[in-house]
Amino acid sequence: MAEPLLSIRGLEVTFRGAGRPVPAVRGIDLDVAADEVLGIVGESGSGKSVTSLAMTGLLPGTAEVRGSIRIGGVEVTGAAPEVLRHMRGRDVGMIFQDPTTSLNPVLPIGRQVTEGQVAHGLLRTAEAPGRAVELLAEVDIPDPAGRALQFPHQFSGGMRQRAVIAMAMAGRPRLIIADEPTTALDVTVQAQVLALLRRRQAATGAAVILITHDLGVIAETADRVAVMYAGKIVEAAPVAEIFARPRHPYTVGLLKSLPRLDQEARRLVPIQGQPPTPGAIPSGCSFHPRCPIGAARERCRSEEPVLRAAGPSGVAACHFTHEVEALLAATPEANAAVSTPRAAPAEPLLVVDGLRVHFPIRRGLLRRQTGLVRAVDGVSLEVRAGETLGLVGESGCGKTTTGRAIMGLIKASGGSITFAGQDITRLDAAGLRAVRRHVQYVFQDPYASLNPIRTVEEIVAEPLHIHGVYDAMGGAGRVARLFDLVGLSRTMLGRYPREFSGGQRQRVGIARALALEPRLLILDEPVAALDVSIQAQTVNLLMDLQAELGLAYLFIAHDLSVVRHISDRVAVMYLGRIVEEGTRDELYARPVHPYTQSLLSAVPVPEPGVSGRRIVLEGDIPNPASPPSGCAFHPRCYRATARCAEEAPAFVPYPGLATRVACHHAGPLTADELPAAPAANEALA
Amino acid sequence: MTGYILRRLAQLLPVTLLASLAIWAMIYAVPGGPVGAMVGENATPEQIQAVTERLGLDRPVLVQYGAWLGKALQGDLGLSLQNRQPVMELILERVPATVQLGIAAILIGLLIGVPIAILSALHPGSRLDRALSAWSALALGIPTFWLGILLILLFAVELRWLPSASTYVSIFESPGRAIMSLLMPAFTLGVYVSGIFARFLRASLIGELHADYVRTARAKGLPERDVVGRHVLRNALLPFITIVGLMLASFIGGALVTEAVFTYPGLGRLLIQAISTRDYPLIQGAILFILVIYVVINLLVDVAYAWVDPRIEYG
Repeated sequence: MAEPLLSIRGLEVTFRGAGRPVPAVRGIDLDVAADEVLGIVGESGSGKSVTSLAMTGLLPGTAEVRGSIRIGGVEVTGAAPEVLRHMRGRDVGMIFQDPTTSLNPVLPIGRQVTEGQVAHGLLRTAEAPGRAVELLAEVDIPDPAGRALQFPHQFSGGMRQRAVIAMAMAGRPRLIIADEPTTALDVTVQAQVLALLRRRQAATGAAVILITHDLGVIAETADRVAVMYAGKIVEAAPVAEIFARPRHPYTVGLLKSLPRLDQEARRLVPIQGQPPTPGAIPSGCSFHPRCPIGAARERCRSEEPVLRAAGPSGVAACHFTHEVEALLAATPEANAAVSTPRAAPAEPLLVVDGLRVHFPIRRGLLRRQTGLVRAVDGVSLEVRAGETLGLVGESGCGKTTTGRAIMGLIKASGGSITFAGQDITRLDAAGLRAVRRHVQYVFQDPYASLNPIRTVEEIVAEPLHIHGVYDAMGGAGRVARLFDLVGLSRTMLGRYPREFSGGQRQRVGIARALALEPRLLILDEPVAALDVSIQAQTVNLLMDLQAELGLAYLFIAHDLSVVRHISDRVAVMYLGRIVEEGTRDELYARPVHPYTQSLLSAVPVPEPGVSGRRIVLEGDIPNPASPPSGCAFHPRCYRATARCAEEAPAFVPYPGLATRVACHHAGPLTADELPAAPAANEALA
Repeated sequence: MTGYILRRLAQLLPVTLLASLAIWAMIYAVPGGPVGAMVGENATPEQIQAVTERLGLDRPVLVQYGAWLGKALQGDLGLSLQNRQPVMELILERVPATVQLGIAAILIGLLIGVPIAILSALHPGSRLDRALSAWSALALGIPTFWLGILLILLFAVELRWLPSASTYVSIFESPGRAIMSLLMPAFTLGVYVSGIFARFLRASLIGELHADYVRTARAKGLPERDVVGRHVLRNALLPFITIVGLMLASFIGGALVTEAVFTYPGLGRLLIQAISTRDYPLIQGAILFILVIYVVINLLVDVAYAWVDPRIEYG
């Protein structure tokens, strides 16, 4: 076999700043052949992004790179900056995570797409605008000639990422490095972008390195997978092999901590503890403190395992590979809380009826109101005591606005919100404050939602002070007990948020929300910013707390797998309205609204070869300032008829199921609506 | 675009009105009020009575303000107490000199400050960066009168290259002489403002250099000078426009000290003369004029923003 396109040997990257040198990558070997897709999986701090930046010489000056990286036979480490520059954009194209920030806001898209080629002398300045239009057309951007002159803020998120792909592909590179290319995108848009990426990869025959934390994306897209932990590759194998028979305890841990769309409810098995920070990597096998096999073994503590052949064509770095299989089969303890649909209590705790939140658009000299953004436009839902209602939808659908309106943080424009029999939309400030004792909010971003200059003890105690019940509810003792409740050590009480990891910060946020003994928690994407293993710990904590304290949850999320895992009932939102609502099992097994059906079909399943048949929705979520007529979903819907464009469907029970749905053509998905598997692959190719 | 400018103007109107009221009311804070200011301390009651009636100061306060404002809007700011010339004329006489000096100072500030900012932002924490930061600190720390005197001592007294007292020569009529007379006062102000420009632009550049789009630009294989020149600088200059506008407004509003040191015939010196001779109509007029300059330059800054940054709509 010829030399692989990319060949990495003994790569080490160390950051030398003011303090101790920090090893980020600690010796990895990798080969990628032309026309091959290599997936690299790992949690934050595992060194996966640093590896990708090392390949293109984009690391900052404080990074020290050792070992060999050869791309197309040319050595990258130690190469002159000019050599590296000529390689970038010509031999190697890069796609980054967030298309919103990775495009320059003040330059037209077309120019950004082609300027690399112009700089390389591959394209004359006069020809650049025409070429930009061609490139944008290749990534399915409608009206490419008009769009090429527009700026990034005029593009939707999905279109921006297409533009980034067009940019990376502009020079027909032999290697494409995609670092979390769909993490910032919604699931239906993710499906479009992955399909596009595969199509362009097939057309150019490029090698692809796909870096992601999402095992579903890996299962669907990669040919081979490398799992990174603490700066090293701990396992590498063909994709089918790694999902069927992982040979490293960490890979097993990742797979078992993942909530899955395709499996019945079971308790998640998180990996214990935290991923190590690059500055403090444990001795011996770096995974041993978190490993069910190695935690107590002297050999794992003292001796670092090397990668050895494991399985038919894989490698793994574990002293006890033969014990891993038993680990995969092991079931978690049976007594732990699992979400099983409960018999519904008669009285709903929270009833939202016809809730509307409209924001005025003002324009002109006198700031006259010229329109309305209908962020929430007639939402009705109920949450009963002790149950979890999952509220799912893509970005911009109004799910967070709904949560904030229920909390009274945004004023409702219409409809009613009844909590424990009291309509809170009519309350004055004092009345609202009294209700807030019983309704608390947990925010998405555990980094931004804790005040950095206060100790966590002060943060958790703050709601008690605000409501004047600090002493009445037990003062410092109460705060310490809250720490016990969420699994944080009391020794951490006097510390500041920056000393905590993301998962620990989210526990602080949950402790703060629980301080006043609320009856309802509004959880707004509480695990979206966390690593997979930490996400599982947090989900388990939330379910345990619910069982122990009888809390009701309104769980707002975009991740259908997590929602399925934690919810009793689920409501699906699209453009300010609930389109389908039902019990968890019915909604996931027999969705009747076309939007729910496409959402579920777009989720990548961590099982290679399973999801070939997929509905890929066209287009983006419309602007809520000018929603489509009739049913808001009709322009993207595969069942739409003339009636859908004229008449908005009512939200009514669906016969035979405990489901309510807003669709003129509701009904189970039929075989001919799903694109057939081979046809789908053709479309993707 | 026109609508946008009109709306911005409409928003500025209340601020301007309020400020004009304060400027007008200022004269009542003077011991003896406006009449005392006019007739001096040794006037007889009859004289005071006569002046009060002549000026209409026995009318209700709001009527007086309305009359003053109405005249001001027509360009009539009253007569100077010193030489009985219309205030407006005195001010307009000085405007070209002041504008010329202000723009020259800003240009020198940019010429020194922008390269310093770029050099230090590209190598933050380096020896070069520290040396250049020291320059900014020095530029801000040296009092302008002191630097002005030093320059005069060196270039006018010792070397006799430049005139010690600057006169106003229009750059359009006699560019050579205009530059000669502008060089020292503009440099004095330019050095000071270069320190401000360097600091702000350096911080703005360092922020932008860490942005994701910069990594994207490098990943495309752009040479570093394009990465900085085309991508980073354009974004970093956006917040910088505000600073440049504010500094220009403050120089046109009167570089009091510098104009005094160089006896430059600008608005600043006019204001100082007016204050030292207690020429109240002239003080009021000059301050009102400076206020309008600030408002107009702020408006221009906003328009420039909307023009440079595609994300801002003329909504």
